[in-house]
Amino acid sequence: MNSESCLDIRLMVIFTAGMVLSSEVGNFGGLLADDLQFAKNVRPILSDACYSCHGPDEKSREGDLRLDDRGAVMKADVLTSGTLLARLTSDDPDVRMPPVDSNRRLPDKDRKQLIRWLNEGGQWPEDDQHWAFVAPQRPALPEVQNESWVRGGIDAFVLSRLERENWQPAIRADKATLLRRVTFDLTGLPPTIAELDSFIGDSSPQAYEKAVDRLLDSSRYGEHMALLWMEASRYADTDGYQNDRLRYMWVWRDWLIKALNDNQPFDQFAIEQMAGDLLPDRTFLTQVATGFNRNHRINSEGGSIPDEWIVEYVADRVETMGTVFLGLTLNCARCHDHKYDPISQKNFYRFFAFFNNIAEAGLGPNNGNSPPFIKVPKSWPNLSDEESRFVVPDPPVVKLQQTSVPRPQSGSNETVMVLHELEQPRKTYVLKRGQYDQPDQSERLRPATPTVLGTWREDWPVNRLGLAKWLTDPSHPLTARVTVNRMWQHFFGIGLVKTSENFGVQGELPSHPELLDWLATEFIGNDWDVKSMHRLIVTSATYRQDSSLSEKGKKLDPENRLLARGPRRRLSPYSIRDAALFSAGLLVEKVGGPSVKPYMPPGIWKSVSNAKYQQSKGDSLYRRSLYTYWRRTLPPPTMMAFNAAARETCVVRKDRTTTPLQALTMMNNRTFVEAARFLAERMMAKGKLNSSEKIAWAFRQVTSRFPTSQELEILTKDVMVYRRDFAGQDEVARKLLSIGEKQYNKKLNVGELAALTLIANTILNLDEAITKN
Amino acid sequence: MQELIEYSAREKRRAFLQGSTLGLGSLALGTLCGAEQNRGPVGNPLQGLPHAAARAKRVIYLFQSGGPSQMDLFDYKPSLADRFGEEVPKSIYPDERKTTMTSGQNSFPVAPSTLKFRRHGKSGIWLGQTLPHLAQVVDDICVIKSMHTEAINHDPAATLFQTGSVIPGRPSMGSWVSYGLGSQNENLPAFVALTSNGTGKGGQPLYDRLWGAGFLPGRFQGVKFRGQGDPILDLYNPSGMTREQRRRMLDSLGELNNRQANRFQDPEIETRIAQYELAFRMQMSVPELIDFKSESKNTLDMYGSQVNTVGRYAYNCLLARRLAERGVRFIQLYHRGWDAHGNAPKQITAQCRDTDQPTAALIQDLKQRGLLEDTLIVWGGEFGRTIYCQGKLTKLSYGRDHHPNCFSYWLAGAGVRGGMSYGKTDDYSVNVVENPVHVHDLQATVLDQLGIHHEKLTFRHQGRDYRLTDVHGQVVRDILS
Repeated sequence: MNSESCLDIRLMVIFTAGMVLSSEVGNFGGLLADDLQFAKNVRPILSDACYSCHGPDEKSREGDLRLDDRGAVMKADVLTSGTLLARLTSDDPDVRMPPVDSNRRLPDKDRKQLIRWLNEGGQWPEDDQHWAFVAPQRPALPEVQNESWVRGGIDAFVLSRLERENWQPAIRADKATLLRRVTFDLTGLPPTIAELDSFIGDSSPQAYEKAVDRLLDSSRYGEHMALLWMEASRYADTDGYQNDRLRYMWVWRDWLIKALNDNQPFDQFAIEQMAGDLLPDRTFLTQVATGFNRNHRINSEGGSIPDEWIVEYVADRVETMGTVFLGLTLNCARCHDHKYDPISQKNFYRFFAFFNNIAEAGLGPNNGNSPPFIKVPKSWPNLSDEESRFVVPDPPVVKLQQTSVPRPQSGSNETVMVLHELEQPRKTYVLKRGQYDQPDQSERLRPATPTVLGTWREDWPVNRLGLAKWLTDPSHPLTARVTVNRMWQHFFGIGLVKTSENFGVQGELPSHPELLDWLATEFIGNDWDVKSMHRLIVTSATYRQDSSLSEKGKKLDPENRLLARGPRRRLSPYSIRDAALFSAGLLVEKVGGPSVKPYMPPGIWKSVSNAKYQQSKGDSLYRRSLYTYWRRTLPPPTMMAFNAAARETCVVRKDRTTTPLQALTMMNNRTFVEAARFLAERMMAKGKLNSSEKIAWAFRQVTSRFPTSQELEILTKDVMVYRRDFAGQDEVARKLLSIGEKQYNKKLNVGELAALTLIANTILNLDEAITKN
Repeated sequence: MQELIEYSAREKRRAFLQGSTLGLGSLALGTLCGAEQNRGPVGNPLQGLPHAAARAKRVIYLFQSGGPSQMDLFDYKPSLADRFGEEVPKSIYPDERKTTMTSGQNSFPVAPSTLKFRRHGKSGIWLGQTLPHLAQVVDDICVIKSMHTEAINHDPAATLFQTGSVIPGRPSMGSWVSYGLGSQNENLPAFVALTSNGTGKGGQPLYDRLWGAGFLPGRFQGVKFRGQGDPILDLYNPSGMTREQRRRMLDSLGELNNRQANRFQDPEIETRIAQYELAFRMQMSVPELIDFKSESKNTLDMYGSQVNTVGRYAYNCLLARRLAERGVRFIQLYHRGWDAHGNAPKQITAQCRDTDQPTAALIQDLKQRGLLEDTLIVWGGEFGRTIYCQGKLTKLSYGRDHHPNCFSYWLAGAGVRGGMSYGKTDDYSVNVVENPVHVHDLQATVLDQLGIHHEKLTFRHQGRDYRLTDVHGQVVRDILS
């Protein structure tokens, strides 16, 4: 066969596959109803194809026509007059929209949909508003047929949707799978064999709830949940530019773990981080909490212009707040009005004004914390009453270094960075094209929030504290929804709103809008109790389903948006390492403290920078991964191989692509080879068991289930081969056993230990080992 | 939303063609087209790509980190010899965009280059004396003297060149290319990054983000080849373990994972099995790749004495040619050490000693193998240097600060006009006076050579279609034949 006809066949396959799949996936944007609904079926298309030139941004608006505002559309009379229809149906390239050269795409399917909408009268409801900007109302629980399946509100909404589609929920996951799933989700580690046995043996109706409570009470819970917030808050141990100078923010991380373990209500959690320095009853701790807004990168590259970088820091705070609390891409309005959402450039700089008053310096010091910072007492975290008081940080003192580089004083490793207000706030203006040196001085901007995102109460102070109260006000349309959606994403892999970082007009519509609102109102009504929301989700029947894909699910709902099965997902990069250390008995559990430097490849920093990685020794090599030293410009490669957030900017959603580098890491990386050896030692320590039983034990330790007899046979055959390989090859075996800092038990037979190490290496590489099923 | 759906459908097609979603389809394809049909680690091109006929099948980008000095290498300014020590007029160089390294200086005296220039080749292009080898192939390169950027500090400037934005978080050029065009090699990544240090003074640090995937899926990121330890991180089996044992382990692993795939029906598991097999093949193909034994003595000599030293520029240049031969799409070299704030003539000479010969050898070597026709070579750094002296000016020495307003690049191969000089700067080499080429223009041109329309290669992120060239970029057609 020649290559051309081969290509034809390939294209044909691409074509057919594409046809089938896009129509299937399309079902989950909410296109189920026969009636066209403006918000669901029309606006997303208009937004995508038209708003770039006919949207909120006045400066880029063409033909004085905007299609995002009902009033303006009615006034322009383009819907019923046939104008819009002509633009959509004409063959004349000068008439047809979107213009060919605009790079806006309007797929045929969507064009047809708009035409249909116009032909049916172009209904645009009078009270229309983007769904996410209307405060959630508590929906009634829907009625369902299969009532016995429903354990609570979540299930009612999920089942009602499934029944509407004529789908059935999956069977319940078996107990071992479920305990593994929930243990990973709540603590980032697998269950122990003893925990598995006790749970499987507990036939009381509350057995699962008891296990959930035990996990929620574990200090591992706070450590695991901290990671999500660390990624969102771009936490790191270095500044992130050029020489990437070091800083000390681990005290903030300690605060975070404790706040999560203490189940601090989310509103308070948010207020302290946004404005802990402005509270009437502020303390040392609430001050430490404000480090959230200092975790952004700071430039200390000699030659940088300070004013330029202060603008970057302030913009970063606005962007992070936008993503984390509002689920909006506020940064899109930094250089011009937002192209899709009703956020003007002025709105952006009014947000900016809240954060533009920090007593900070534009350039960082050459290593160390950048002001404002406060001294941390040696007794941390056990502070005396005296030490728990609020501290006034020293103002920045900028001195010229080298020829003319203006650097502030540097905070030692006994300090932590915080927020502190300037006595005289900086003046805020719209910056033209977002440039620091192009302020529009015709109007000075005061801090304010856009009314479209919720009302501002007169009794709130006009500063970050007021902003925090606004964000966490029970009537706020976004904060609770965005937060529960991230929770959903954590447990199910995909949020009810898939674009968890964007609830704006260009974001995806919720798969279960009522469930989202029910959860949001539940959260607010429960005084923002985070653990109780986590409990609610993991005890639902929805969460407890088996996670295998049915033929139908595989074909029609590969992403599990309908929730007709339980979540199945690869573990996070942090959990992958932690679980391997845990199974090997190597994990050193100590909560909090400065970052540690576990194994890294040789020359990791030196090869591309002027810094040298000084690896830790002893226990510090085996701490949980949230304590791993994070150098922003060269983050730990094993973590990055598994799609960790780089911590340069706020990230709340990550992809989980599979690559060959992951396979190489799991097979050959020092951490995982050493873990395999220690898992093998643990097998050997089970002296009474025969080979198969030892392997079965390790298999269960890692995967939380017993191997089947066929599975066991495969591994048992292998161990016999490996034993033969290593027979009389002690030197070779010792090479394998010498990988990693921790010595192997010299009393053990080296050939046997090496053979079992390869078995353990196999088990740790199982897809199941790095997955919650 | 529609595009997300399209993207996800496209992803599925990709997966489909890689044989991870529907086994039958890939089986049929494999049988019909032969197993080697472009099923590399990042898969096939996006639908519709390339947009146009590609002049270049691959790119080798020789990034000169630190900012090479244009007036000491390419941008010859003979008239400045008479202005030694005179103040650079403020009308030409206002204070606002000077870095704070020098903005506090009392004086900004002209520091004419102490290096000699000569014309070379048929084209008569002027080159500084430290580039004798490049002079031999000058008729193959097109020198652009009118590059310009906005960024004046290393980090934002390098990030702009590599990702199209000074703000971190965007995908790098190579990851855009591998996202768009996929891989041509089953056993190697589509995008490789190589770093080297000069033998002189240390250089500016580099950052993972320069070859990162940004918001593109992680598998499009550049795979960094390392100068120490395994050439690719964790490539080799642990010592004490044989390849036969690894094969056995993978057979068992595949069988065990297959059982899980049957149980859960999750295509993700099949993808993982495939990636383990790819890792195994990489374990074979990479050692062969980095083994220079098959190279003739002539070839090795051409690249100079450092060709066999891992982590040197010469080594990376030869490795780049070998990667190019094997179908790697985007080969990104970074060579550090061009940041000549002080003692510039000496530093530049040292940098050229390390880089001039291997660079010229790469051009010649590709040419003699017929590869220069469809390989685009790009040479240049993140910005240029100031004509005014940083620090003390003497007849023999000077320092130069960062300069964004003009600097020199050169391109070669894949239809780029050889022996051409493009763009002009003013008498002081401070501003562009003719045919300015912005960073985004260069990026648009590189993509264009690969058959990619820079405005059409987009990715939906946070509700917006992003592209490498942001909202800018004009292809520089004048330099293309």
